[in-house]
Amino acid sequence: MNENLQHRIRKYLLKALHFVALFIAMAIICVPGLWVVLNSFRPTVEIMAKPPVWIPNELNLDNYRAMFGAVGEGGVPVLQYFTNSLIVSVTSTLIAILVGMAGGYAFARYSFKGKAGIFIGLMLTRAVPGVSLSLPLFIVMAKTGLIDTHLGLILVYVALNVPFTIWLIDGFFRQVPIDLAEAAEIDGCTRWQAFWKVEFPVARAGVASAGIFAFLTSWNEYALASQLTRSTFSKTMPVGLRDFTSEFTINWGGMCALAVLMIIPALILTFIVQKHLIAGLTFGGVKG
Amino acid sequence: MGKQKLKVLLGATALAAMAGQAPAGEFDGITLQAKLIGGQQYEGLYARIAEWEAETGAKVDVISKKNHFELDKEFKSDLAAGTLGWCVGSNHSSFAAQYPNLYTDLTPYLSAEDIAAFVPANISASKIGDALVMLPRAQFDVSVLYYLKAVYEDEGNKTAYKEKTGRDLAPPDTWEEFKEQAIFFADPPNFYGTQYAGKDEAIVGRFYELVVAEGGALFNEDWSPAFNSDAGKRALQWFVDLYDAGAVPPGTTSYLWDDLGQGFASGTIALNLDWPGWAGFFNDPDSSKAAGNVGVKVQPAGSSGKRTGWSGHHGFSVTESCEHKEAAASLVAWLTNEDSQKLESAGGSLPTRSAVWEHVLQEAQSDPFRAEAIAAFQAGAEHAFPAPQTPEWIEATNLIYPELQAAILGDKTVDEALADAAEAVDEMMQENGVY
Amino acid sequence: MSRFRPPVWFVLLLPAIIILAAVVLIPLILSFYSSFTPYKLTRPDTLYKWIGTFNYEKAIKSTHFWAAFGRTVLLLTIALNLEMLMGLGLALLVNKVTYGQRALRTIMMFPMMFSPVLVGFQFKFIFNDNVGLVNNALQSLGLTDKAIPWLVDGQLAFIAILTAEMWSATSVFAILILAGLFAVPRDPIEAAKVDGCTPWQSFRHITLPYIMPFIYIALAIRSLDVARAYDIVQIMTNGGPARRTELLWTLIGRTGYIDAKMGYANAMGYISIFLAIFFTVYFFRKLNAARSELGMAG
Repeated sequence: MNENLQHRIRKYLLKALHFVALFIAMAIICVPGLWVVLNSFRPTVEIMAKPPVWIPNELNLDNYRAMFGAVGEGGVPVLQYFTNSLIVSVTSTLIAILVGMAGGYAFARYSFKGKAGIFIGLMLTRAVPGVSLSLPLFIVMAKTGLIDTHLGLILVYVALNVPFTIWLIDGFFRQVPIDLAEAAEIDGCTRWQAFWKVEFPVARAGVASAGIFAFLTSWNEYALASQLTRSTFSKTMPVGLRDFTSEFTINWGGMCALAVLMIIPALILTFIVQKHLIAGLTFGGVKG
Repeated sequence: MGKQKLKVLLGATALAAMAGQAPAGEFDGITLQAKLIGGQQYEGLYARIAEWEAETGAKVDVISKKNHFELDKEFKSDLAAGTLGWCVGSNHSSFAAQYPNLYTDLTPYLSAEDIAAFVPANISASKIGDALVMLPRAQFDVSVLYYLKAVYEDEGNKTAYKEKTGRDLAPPDTWEEFKEQAIFFADPPNFYGTQYAGKDEAIVGRFYELVVAEGGALFNEDWSPAFNSDAGKRALQWFVDLYDAGAVPPGTTSYLWDDLGQGFASGTIALNLDWPGWAGFFNDPDSSKAAGNVGVKVQPAGSSGKRTGWSGHHGFSVTESCEHKEAAASLVAWLTNEDSQKLESAGGSLPTRSAVWEHVLQEAQSDPFRAEAIAAFQAGAEHAFPAPQTPEWIEATNLIYPELQAAILGDKTVDEALADAAEAVDEMMQENGVY
Repeated sequence: MSRFRPPVWFVLLLPAIIILAAVVLIPLILSFYSSFTPYKLTRPDTLYKWIGTFNYEKAIKSTHFWAAFGRTVLLLTIALNLEMLMGLGLALLVNKVTYGQRALRTIMMFPMMFSPVLVGFQFKFIFNDNVGLVNNALQSLGLTDKAIPWLVDGQLAFIAILTAEMWSATSVFAILILAGLFAVPRDPIEAAKVDGCTPWQSFRHITLPYIMPFIYIALAIRSLDVARAYDIVQIMTNGGPARRTELLWTLIGRTGYIDAKMGYANAMGYISIFLAIFFTVYFFRKLNAARSELGMAG
């Protein structure tokens, strides 16, 4: 009885501790982000106030209104940037996933000579500093007429994401017991069918998370995009953020407003893809 | 079929309507690609491009719109890749010298009269050697002194200052006095005497103008460094003293223009040397706590009696590789003509044409703050001088500013910092084959 | 007539190899070549002047370069380890939650939605000494009456950058490790419980080996990515003041684009690539070791 009580108290204490720790962690994660969201609704004079204004006196949509307004009055071609970002990110993510799945499967399921070497070689492409890459890339793109096009940016982002996707998907395929596929093949499936029917569903979690990462990388990439885009035809939203900085000023409120527009779709997409992440993961967990 | 006909017809009437206004078709069928600076205060002017298109029949295709630093990077990439098919580019007097071969001399496309209508100092700052590489737009920048009036009207301050120095408290006219007052006003962390740009080209520019005001120079005739001199040391010491005394925010070495502007607008900085673009911002209650409390005065002088006056201006250039230089020059002239400058200076920026200066002064009469600001800037403009006109300027600033910061933060003495900076600049100039 | 049929693995890998060769390899060869020239962007003809290893010698002799190198390694080491530990903690916390986990997971990934450029601006304003969020909070709470110069003091600036970097990247670790936690089979843990193992023991001997590959994946990916934290650092301090926060990436970026000395910048870039190679190979080895422990090596 006594022991039981002690046990229960301990359990509740642990639960409370867990809750508090979780709350603090989530607060640290959220506060700097929500601060940006809040700033998008506040006039700059209040954000930069000294002494600080903790409880906003005034929340309004001025920053948003200005952003969607006419050029020269604070307007920024947001919709165009948004469309560009969406086209580039979605396309490059889909391609990166397909290429990455093929590559990841090759590494996970086949053994061949020079495997480790090729693998490291692929990974190292990611290690190249952006600066050493951006200028020659610019020259190559300029010569092939891909500057300021969606296609140019898509190609770059696919290359940026493929090593990562391969690595991640490789890891997940390794978690799928090879017997599963073999069993399916014995049952009369071709390798192709076995892959889609048995291995892919199990590794779907890996594909989903690789997809999230690839999408977010493309969605948020700045350094290369700023080099390879120039007009509103292809400028993406992170590059668009720079529209709020000029020689002498930064329009922080406006920047926050655009930032919110960047964050929302990414957040929604992440939330949706999570469902697949869970489905795939649970299956893997049960079978594993 | 019918629809298409209608379109043609409509197009024809539209053309005819335009033709009624001006001798249309001077540049019919020509498309000019342009790379223009983007951002609030610059884009209002671009509305006038449509008028020029209508008048001449040419078309302008803006293929890039970025801020100046990003544009600078893009121009350099273009030079490297040889992608120079575009014609018109935004330019800045502090950047222009870096790309001596990119832009063409505009003199052949303009009459002497046209050129004479600009402020002569602006024209000479737009030249590389004898080549007029850009036409200045109404975006001329020189810094004058902004101050909080309340600080000077405060009785307590007045008596305390009189007691301390024996002089009456009034906005400073020398940098020595400026320093003294800044230290006197400072009450960290709630209130600071002043602040300065603390990094990149910005701090080197400020240092440069102070060296000049102290009677020195940044470079010798052959572009070897000349700032490791008594004047240079006095100038740097000024920055160091303010920092040591806590008269500036401790983060000032990480500040750039926007931080400075926001700082003064927060009403916690007494004295602020700053650019004309901020005048409206500082006095607007929507953006500034200092609104209604801002005084503007010509910038102080150094110990040589010379005033500071590092200046720069924006302009438009035509590339050497442009196929239609006539048309491009016509566009550039259009964007910098009297009407364009009037339009642009209505937004608070300073013109670069003598006639428009008159106009701006007239316009400001009804608004006392605006009149005070314009008068200060007009006085300030008389002492203006451009950044050193060498392709190596930006690279030199990158070598100098970390050393200035090191001295300000106490990592090095003033003597060490200047000696190190001079050595680095000297080495760079030699490596680049300047001498 | 036997036609050559390439092995399946090769066909599968081909798209990846082609695209990486086109986008990375070719530009890389170009930039590698240019590191042996005095290539200056504003004078394109300098690309054709061979100066041998001059740029490399200059970089190796430069104290600024080695200071930046050391600082980069330091930042990399500290940031990666802290992010890994905090990511692990976060993943374990979230993993324990039974109700509303999906929402929590999305919140956990919240910082990943922020573009590094934005994170740079954000933390620059948060750490501003005069009107910044952190100083305002500390002063309002009465913890200090000074304006702490977060972005100026050498160590504080390092901490500020580290904070920004960690804020934006810990989620990556957390989500990957969480994915690993899901893949851990339940049975052995149940069995361990029955056998009387403490939670720590079952974590250490069952869970940890399972998630180790995921941790190494995350570490390796991030070790390459921290190198890309350029956006954040460039906006927050740009290496300053007085080179106190100069990292390889700010130094190379400034030399290459502002000074337009691409040849020299590339030489520094290639020296520092060794840094990245070292980390990648190191984590790759670790990953293989962890896998062979689980019998998944290949």
